[in-house]
Amino acid sequence: MKRSTPHPILWLAALVLAAASFALSSVAARGAESQVTVQELVEKAQEYDGREVVVEGEVVGDVMMRGEEAWITVNDDPYSRRSLEEGGEFAGLSNYGIGVVLPRAEAEKVKVLGGYKHHGDRVRVRGIFHRADREHGGDTDIEGVSLEVVKPGYPIPHPFSYGKLAVALALSAAAAFLGSRLLKRRSAPAS
Amino acid sequence: MILKPSRADVRIIAWAIGRVILGVGLIMLAPLFTSLVCSEWNVALDFLIGIAACVLFWLVTESTCRVERDLRWFHGLIVASAGWLTAIVFGAIPHYLSGHFKSFLDACFDLMSGYTTTGLFLLQDLDHCSHGLNMWRHLLTYAGGQGIIVIALTFLFAGTAGSFKIYVSEGKEEKLLPNVINTARAIWMISLSYLAVGSSLLWAALVREGMPAGRGFLHAVWLFMGAWSTGGFAPQSLNLLYYHSLTVELVTLVIFVIGSFNFALHYSVWTGDAKEIYRNVETRSFALTLMLSTFLLSLGLGKVGVFGSLMEFFRKGFYNLVSGHTTTGNSTIYSVSFYRDFGFLAMWAVILAMAVGASACSTGGGFKGLRMGILYRYFRGELRRLASPERAVVAEKIHHIRDIWLDDALVKGVFFVLLCYVITYFMGGMLGIAYGYEPSVAFFDAVSAGSNTGLSAGLTSPLMPAAGLSAGLTSPLMPAALKVYYIFAMWAGRLEFMSVIALLSFFGALARGRRGR
Repeated sequence: MKRSTPHPILWLAALVLAAASFALSSVAARGAESQVTVQELVEKAQEYDGREVVVEGEVVGDVMMRGEEAWITVNDDPYSRRSLEEGGEFAGLSNYGIGVVLPRAEAEKVKVLGGYKHHGDRVRVRGIFHRADREHGGDTDIEGVSLEVVKPGYPIPHPFSYGKLAVALALSAAAAFLGSRLLKRRSAPAS
Repeated sequence: MILKPSRADVRIIAWAIGRVILGVGLIMLAPLFTSLVCSEWNVALDFLIGIAACVLFWLVTESTCRVERDLRWFHGLIVASAGWLTAIVFGAIPHYLSGHFKSFLDACFDLMSGYTTTGLFLLQDLDHCSHGLNMWRHLLTYAGGQGIIVIALTFLFAGTAGSFKIYVSEGKEEKLLPNVINTARAIWMISLSYLAVGSSLLWAALVREGMPAGRGFLHAVWLFMGAWSTGGFAPQSLNLLYYHSLTVELVTLVIFVIGSFNFALHYSVWTGDAKEIYRNVETRSFALTLMLSTFLLSLGLGKVGVFGSLMEFFRKGFYNLVSGHTTTGNSTIYSVSFYRDFGFLAMWAVILAMAVGASACSTGGGFKGLRMGILYRYFRGELRRLASPERAVVAEKIHHIRDIWLDDALVKGVFFVLLCYVITYFMGGMLGIAYGYEPSVAFFDAVSAGSNTGLSAGLTSPLMPAAGLSAGLTSPLMPAALKVYYIFAMWAGRLEFMSVIALLSFFGALARGRRGR
């Protein structure tokens, strides 16, 4: 029995379909969100410019409400996981952060802001990365679409340091002793 | 040659340094108060320890080194240079105790950067810093802008001839008033008046931009201190980029331009001579060099094309250029942007602007507008001399408060200081290259440190861009030798070399000099 072979047109159609799906998938990948670090975004700004990205990190500083939008700063450096105030390890840097401009309603989800006394809310932000945002004077930022609080912020305990108190008292006592002696010497009549 | 100093010389120098350190301790009262108000108890203890250490040092020098004689020129030079170094060590105590510095060297780096109004920093995790520490960072750069010697003179020295000698040794030659103590007080009066006005404007701008009133007030005061002193510190790691505000950028721009002007010019304007602004050689020089560097910047940015609109050029290009030219260091872009988005030409426009710097007797650094003006007139005079008959007498003058005729001694002095700056910039750049940094980045940061600017292309700040080194090799991880060199460059650049050379000679004379007197 003769085995039937596919028609050459079918082969061609399959080839076109494969090429099209490959092209579509690469376009989709380019437009699709991808979780990146701030460091990667800033250092490969040209590559990520205009792409949808997801950044996860701690909200620090302030939520600055401006009409229907708001600005927040999201840090994703090692201190955004455990700050030096919580006993975190030295990472050899200040902070890696990026400004995110969001719809007001999204920004209102942020309750705790990172600083000396608090570890800020850990959030996941989805938005478009701009190397130089035309709408905002050329800022490098993320035009956020949505924000999700991954882990709520919490107060950072600062137990009172009795060791430091002891050092302060010892130095003050030494200064008081020396000061009183100096004063006595100055006020004594010259012999 | 400096003769071997006598014991009395050493004692009088130590006594005067003791007073400078007492001044440092007194300034710490403000951050102590801030931390108490903000219930930052451990931070308050850091400042208590710092204050107690300063007072103790002062008492020791007062008890053991007091000499009944006045300071000489040589003493003044040593007090200024060694006083700064000692002030760094004592000022670094609260920094180090804060737990935000990996080493005491890093803390000293930040102190030197603050006092010299440079603005580079190695502090880690700035965004979790206390209000008390932030107040100290900004206050020390504000105080350093006026000159820590000026502070000591204002409150802690009697009005003697010796006071003038240490005042001049701090890199300030202007006497606004016949008495140097009154001059120091006039400098403070000018600065405090601007503090009140500038902070209020910034506060209003920050509240309008959505910051809460309390934090807005603190940020306003700190931003003013950073901008006015041309220090460039800011309370958040993103510096001015944190605020995303044209208004805040405009106000700070005006503040640091005014802050970069000569205190003598301020005083002239304050006392009714507003025309001095247009006639003064430094404002003219600043206008000319700013125009030239803006031209270069626009060529460079136009070629790269990242910042397309006029607004973007203003906020990302011009703002950072003026910040560099006034040796401020406030920035609206990431450090890497100087390297990645500015391109070679625009980056070097900023480097040249930083190298030229601000006015003499101001809070700024660099060659200074006065020297640039003198050089320009000198070269113009030489050209005129060449084109004139042999017997013609060609004389050039500059206008700085009064008319000053150029003579050989003045021009030689200018060339010497200029040469010192060039050598400092060059050595820093070569050292950076030797450690594997890209040449533009190495020179950018070296000029920034030597001219007390504080902008960084990444070598001394986060998000370091140096080719292939960006992953992890960030600021506090820069080699210790570079940190030490930068500390030296900031110190020498701020004191304009004379006091530093005198201190080195002093140690040389102590070691092997002939005994005088």
